[in-house]
Amino acid sequence: MTLKRLAYVVCLLALAAGAWGLYDRLTYGHQNAAYGSYVVWGLWVAMYLFFAGIAAGSFMLATLDLLFHVPVMRGTGRLALWVALVSLAAAMLSIWLDLGHMERVWKLYLQGAPGSVMAQMVWGYSVFGLLSLVCLILAVARPDGILLRILMIIGLPISLFISGAVGALLGVEASRLFWHVGLLPVQFPVFSVASGVAALLVAIGLFGPRQDPRRAEQLRLLGLATIVLAVVKLYFLWADFSQSTYGNVPQNVDAVNAVLYGPYWWAFWILQLLLGSIIPIIVLLPARLGRSGLVAGAMGVLVLVGFAAARANIVFPALTVPELEALTTAFTGPHLTFDYYPSPMEWAVTAGIAGAAILGFLIGQDWLPLRSKEVA
Amino acid sequence: MPDLLETPDVLIRMQADLQRALEKLHQERRWVMVLDLRKCVGCHACTVACVAENKLPPGVVYRPVLEEEFGSYPNVTRRFLPRPCMQCENPPCVPVCPVHATYTNEEGVVVMDYEQCIGCRYCITACPYAARTFDFGRTYTEATAEANGLIVGRSQAEVYERAANFEYGVAHERRGGEESPIGNARKCHFCLHRLSAGMLPACTTTCIGRATLFGDANDPDSLVAELIARPNATRLKEELGTHPRVYYLL
Repeated sequence: MTLKRLAYVVCLLALAAGAWGLYDRLTYGHQNAAYGSYVVWGLWVAMYLFFAGIAAGSFMLATLDLLFHVPVMRGTGRLALWVALVSLAAAMLSIWLDLGHMERVWKLYLQGAPGSVMAQMVWGYSVFGLLSLVCLILAVARPDGILLRILMIIGLPISLFISGAVGALLGVEASRLFWHVGLLPVQFPVFSVASGVAALLVAIGLFGPRQDPRRAEQLRLLGLATIVLAVVKLYFLWADFSQSTYGNVPQNVDAVNAVLYGPYWWAFWILQLLLGSIIPIIVLLPARLGRSGLVAGAMGVLVLVGFAAARANIVFPALTVPELEALTTAFTGPHLTFDYYPSPMEWAVTAGIAGAAILGFLIGQDWLPLRSKEVA
Repeated sequence: MPDLLETPDVLIRMQADLQRALEKLHQERRWVMVLDLRKCVGCHACTVACVAENKLPPGVVYRPVLEEEFGSYPNVTRRFLPRPCMQCENPPCVPVCPVHATYTNEEGVVVMDYEQCIGCRYCITACPYAARTFDFGRTYTEATAEANGLIVGRSQAEVYERAANFEYGVAHERRGGEESPIGNARKCHFCLHRLSAGMLPACTTTCIGRATLFGDANDPDSLVAELIARPNATRLKEELGTHPRVYYLL
């Protein structure tokens, strides 16, 4: 069985799980979700941040080929745009299912509050999605046209805006000290680029055309970018956590401790740090390994797993710290807990969305003209 | 020493304050709640009254009473801190709402438009007092047994659960679907529907220790105006600049 066939099978299994989760979500609403009124945002919001980051980052990478014509990245533009589109669809689906009233999503467009970061972000993502789609069509139909270049020029700051807006969405909340960091909107575009690079490592390394003469060098470049961005990411982590700890504000320290030593310690130390950062840095450093499709692709998968954990580690721990100390025992009832672990329904829906996104990517790669003629 | 039997109950005074306030224009009122922590005995009657008044489902609470224990034997004390919505003058929950579903009304109360709310819960994360909860659509009777005969079982109790509440003066029935306020953020609204009918908030009338006091701070003769001018009046997390309209007497 080839890797691609295996991926198809895994995606179909994930979709089956997702179908059950979706049935549960649509039948019982949010009742079987583990998030509540204290840990308000759960796995779906974390996955929204994750997929949205890949989408913005992939678009930025597409500009290397379609706007800046970087020789080594030639032929990757359409692929990156397709990755951006399927990731964006997964992000939007994830956050849409998280809404209490999915049917009122139109209000965001027709009755939206311009002052709300969330509204701005939704509008930004909508424009970004349309723009990416048009860019992909143009990249296939008129790759050398001026319109494509103009749209890519417009898209670049929009992709920066939407990735920064995700950081701002959390950063503006003064009530959550763990999020209320001025540099969060600056960090998120870096995270987006890093996750976009990882997604391209997977797309080219595991599923890319082996006959492409530039493939090895593309993987090497993306691998080196992964290393640099992983180091930057680790520095951000150190800066955030060390300042919070030295500052010694209880709410902040509690949130950091929840990440490092709380119930999600394994997500931080094993998924985010070891698998998502340290192993990829070590493995991608030697040129021979970095040029190997299988190795580079596998490292891309690890980086993405690390990013998914990182997104969860930004969202959950800040919410597990009570705003008022005695709130934990003040009133009991369903969904009134500061402990959170995603429910089977949440996992199933996320698996389905991830499966659909990967399936979308594979189908696009097999059926859409995503490769330039010389590569194909 | 004052004759306690001759001194009118503060409820009488607050009721008179309320009547005066209702004669004014909406925008001239400034509703304020004062919680005298020295008088609160932690009976939770206010919490229960609020749940009953607003027919709050499981997992939704507007006014929990936080209990804290201080010191070590023999110098031990307990403090009870009722926590309604602070009705901030500068509410962090309002600007984050992406669809204008929550806003400050002309009387200064932060309200919810259930039919406008999309259920994103951004406002819940923004509140520094955890004063908002999400309605997951649960009922107290779910998973309880059906009972026939004289025992009031699920089917009978469910009739009560499904009956409408009257928050914001609108009947909100729970018909078993996903209709609002299910799927919405919910919060204390100072019982605006009761105020408009000339009644004090449910938590205020139910407080056995007269620890919950309510009125129009713009009326210099009101009880609350008198109390919030005292040096022992304080507010929660004032450093955040939220300017709560709920005061605590220490």
